[in-house]
Amino acid sequence: MIACLEFRRRVGAEPFVDDAEVAEHRRSCAVCARHQDELRAMDGLIQRALAVDLSAKPESAAAGATAPRRRFLAIAASLVAGIAVGSILLVLAPRASVAREVMGHVTREAVESMAPTKPLPAAAVAEVLGPDGMRLESSAGDVTFAARCVFDGRVVPHLVVRTPEGPVTVLVLRHRSIGKPLHIDEQGYDAVVMPAPRGAIAVVGQDIADLDGVAKKVFDAVDFGR
Amino acid sequence: MNRGNGETDRRRRFGILCESLRPDLLRFAWWLGRDRALAEDVVQESLLRAWKSFDSLTDESKAKAWLLTIVRREFARSFEKKRLELTDVDALVAAESAVLAAPGDTRTAEMREAIFRLDTDYREPLVLQVLMGYSTKEIAEMMGMQQGAVLTRLFRARAKLRQLLGLAAEAEA
Repeated sequence: MIACLEFRRRVGAEPFVDDAEVAEHRRSCAVCARHQDELRAMDGLIQRALAVDLSAKPESAAAGATAPRRRFLAIAASLVAGIAVGSILLVLAPRASVAREVMGHVTREAVESMAPTKPLPAAAVAEVLGPDGMRLESSAGDVTFAARCVFDGRVVPHLVVRTPEGPVTVLVLRHRSIGKPLHIDEQGYDAVVMPAPRGAIAVVGQDIADLDGVAKKVFDAVDFGR
Repeated sequence: MNRGNGETDRRRRFGILCESLRPDLLRFAWWLGRDRALAEDVVQESLLRAWKSFDSLTDESKAKAWLLTIVRREFARSFEKKRLELTDVDALVAAESAVLAAPGDTRTAEMREAIFRLDTDYREPLVLQVLMGYSTKEIAEMMGMQQGAVLTRLFRARAKLRQLLGLAAEAEA
């Protein structure tokens, strides 16, 4: 039979170890059995502690609350300049960023996503939109490509819809908010990013005379769910 | 199935994997780097790398271990680039206080900070074992170590936590 030290070495590494020698020692040594129980309880606490919530965006206020007091004056001094710069960035940066990311994603995937294919069955489209609680009505046009893509670190629905005016790529960006529609004309593509009930929706096309009209039609066909 | 639909299926499967596993990948990256922004970057880069080599994943039931290994390697690359080993842990605690907080649960908050302060050598196998549910054999494979070395690290990790939390310290393995 293993000694107390060996028992504690094993359960210290694996509190829930399933081992005949450990079980035998546990039965014969109440002190070691209690020690193992404590370790098991501690593992429950470790598990809770490890399960950090990273779903929410970090709040600058939380970081500010922990900053040393001696930095207060420096922060205050920079506040006036910060507000001015921040206001400009607040308006321009997200718009520039979302434009760059939308165009980057569409151009990277154009060869695969825009290849002419048959319309996908409704179930395939539902499978892509379903996780976000959304649906697409058939009035938008036939969907020839539907996938959940990595975009800006999130997984987002990416569709190609065949409209009478031409095929358009649709990206549903529930994690991005914009205040007003954004028009982009880059790399041979035109895009419009519109505020949606939750987040934003980007519609990208090539050589489409009335992209705004097409985008509105697609937008109206999306049921954004709750 | 034509090429387009095959590609669509591939994307769909990858998207589903990413979506279901991303929270765990992000937690793992955060516990490795103890930095929210770094964790986001590492996971993003890892998913791009994973997409490029998605065809090499023959058994999707092993996707989580596969992705965690990619995150681990990507973190090592970022670590090398940014030389984060010189970072002051007190500054990290302050910077990540929002994530470390456990409102209304002091014991969890104390344990969280204690784990946060552990050396990476101890923190990483503990995360893989307790949070991700891997056996010491699997952890050894992921970390490229002997199983005995993993057992020693796990023993020491718990001993250090007991020490940091003012509980009785264990004899060295």
